[in-house]
Amino acid sequence: MTHPSSALDDTIHQRVRLGILAVLSESRRADFTYLREVLEVTAGNLSQHLAILEEAGHVQIAKGFEDRRSRTWVTVTRKGRAALASEVATMKALLEGLATTQRA
Amino acid sequence: MNVDEARESLAFSEYAKKRARDDMGRPWVALVLLGSLSVASLSLTNATSPTALFWVFAGPLGAGAIALYAYRRNRSGGIDSNPVAYVAIAVGLLILSYAAGKIGYAFQVPAVARAGPAIIVAAGYLVLAWVERSWLVAAVSLALIAVTVAIIGLDLSPQQSKALMYGLYGVAFLAVGFDLRVGRRQLL
Repeated sequence: MTHPSSALDDTIHQRVRLGILAVLSESRRADFTYLREVLEVTAGNLSQHLAILEEAGHVQIAKGFEDRRSRTWVTVTRKGRAALASEVATMKALLEGLATTQRA
Repeated sequence: MNVDEARESLAFSEYAKKRARDDMGRPWVALVLLGSLSVASLSLTNATSPTALFWVFAGPLGAGAIALYAYRRNRSGGIDSNPVAYVAIAVGLLILSYAAGKIGYAFQVPAVARAGPAIIVAAGYLVLAWVERSWLVAAVSLALIAVTVAIIGLDLSPQQSKALMYGLYGVAFLAVGFDLRVGRRQLL
């Protein structure tokens, strides 16, 4: 029998990465500057987290130019959406299980 | 991962989702615009065809204005909403409410002809409430459905029913739209 926490996905249960997927799951896409502001992280830090998520296939990154300035758009993939839903469900189940144990 | 960490992560992801929804803009523009159109159409309720004619032009124009607003907001805001749900709601509303009126007249069921389009519009706002996770819009939609049924129960004339319903829907959605706009300002 395995511990329920083993169902957690190491790639996304980190706070910032979970936040990135949460924002993207509500939208069609978000740009780099917006994510940096909402998640209150530095550009370097955000780049690292995005690279990890992109490598795992959870997000897609598209770089381009709009109104003569560079813009980086990030989109969540189907895999990323499913991973977020599963992670949130696992965390909720863990917390509920713990609350039940404490009440008993 | 310990319990506090799990709680904090969940809370943070909820905050991030809520912030994204707020930044994409709540449905206030759609509500204010459709509310204004409903109130404006009141002046035409004494005649039968001009109301339909009004909506044939005002409906697509209103939908176009909402789409333009969404496009401009997306370009400047750094976050894009998915327009598919909104387009589907708008098109679905236009087709279904038109069909409900036609079916009501064709089968000579005055209640369906009079209340059908209004109830379908309210149902459309229920879908919008679900898309936007807005309890306020959902509550107003349900209240409007209840009032519409009550109006039909009073057996008013078609003109009176139409005037009451468009007025009611228009004022209700204007009020909710402006309320959401004020709420959004406080968030920013």
